[in-house]
Amino acid sequence: MAPDAESPTSSTAGAGVLVVVPAYNERDCIAAVVDDVRGAGYDCLVVDDGSRDETAEIAAAHGAAVVRLPINLGVGGALRTGFRYATDHGYHTVVQVDADGQHVTDHIRHLLEAVDTADLDMAVGSRFLGHGDYRMPFVRRWAVRVLAAVIRSTGKAHITDPTSGFRAIRRPLLDAFAADFPAHYLGDTFEALLVSARRGYRLGEVPVAMRERQGGRPSADLSALVQSVLRAFTILLTGTTFDLPPRSGANHRAPRNAG
Amino acid sequence: MSTTAKQALVLLAGGIVIAAFILRLARRRLLSTRYAIGWLVIGGLVALAAALMPFVGRLGRLANMTPTAVLLTMSSVLLLAISVQLSISVSQLQERLRTTAEAHALLARRLDELEQRGA
Repeated sequence: MAPDAESPTSSTAGAGVLVVVPAYNERDCIAAVVDDVRGAGYDCLVVDDGSRDETAEIAAAHGAAVVRLPINLGVGGALRTGFRYATDHGYHTVVQVDADGQHVTDHIRHLLEAVDTADLDMAVGSRFLGHGDYRMPFVRRWAVRVLAAVIRSTGKAHITDPTSGFRAIRRPLLDAFAADFPAHYLGDTFEALLVSARRGYRLGEVPVAMRERQGGRPSADLSALVQSVLRAFTILLTGTTFDLPPRSGANHRAPRNAG
Repeated sequence: MSTTAKQALVLLAGGIVIAAFILRLARRRLLSTRYAIGWLVIGGLVALAAALMPFVGRLGRLANMTPTAVLLTMSSVLLLAISVQLSISVSQLQERLRTTAEAHALLARRLDELEQRGA
């Protein structure tokens, strides 16, 4: 599809950049996030992941472009939809921001600068690089360590915060993600990083501050640890659940047609 | 009547019940033809096992198992294979459903844009 009237604005710092906000039942937070993003001069797409509340209506009323998924697909499904929208509309970079207001939108600029100056395919906003004082429950912290160690074992990337959902992704990696992106738990974060690193895409990290979410439950933390370790092991045993074209060959090739 | 003959009769009855049940489901369009045929074949296999009971007994003696154990082992393997096949089907369907939902959402958005421009 060719770019159309909704193409990137050309005057602002955010030219060619689309901020994608996957949202599921975020009625209370979505307005503030959309206002922040648009106030900073970026185009904003809210992907409503089958919400049963007024998330989509509120986002649209605050000036975001809205795509509504008819059923709940999880973050990965919402993201692939956003990536496809971005490539269809001629954007070269997507910044992924959570809808719950956890991410401080001021840092979008830092992610974009990192992508530009270090010539990265993806810049990950990390909570553990000294910016702010984000405290994570002990058990969850260990889950993150396991995943970070697996990514480090590729020898191609060192990511301290592999479950961060605050990232900037640029073409050609954006095209590759638009064609194929996992939808299961930890697929959109950890596994996407792992496959990108293995396939030679350039990954980097930027220190960001994140607001703490309200009340993490201990049982959820333990479940996160168990699932993280299981996923790390199944990937060692069975390989990753999706693949990307290698970086060098991905530059001028059209995205693979998935499904 | 010997145990083997009794087992053969039970198997035969079981096969017929399965086949009748499947035909009924297929008539009410609760089963697609593909699965109806698959399950009818399984009903047929159960009935066939009844006819082969003497053979099953001999096979059991070779492996030092009772005929009952042989039948249970075979049916367990069959059920496992069916479950795995169904899991594969469900996984494929999930992926297709996901792709369709995403395409649907993008098309709905595109239609909105076009309608707004036309209005």
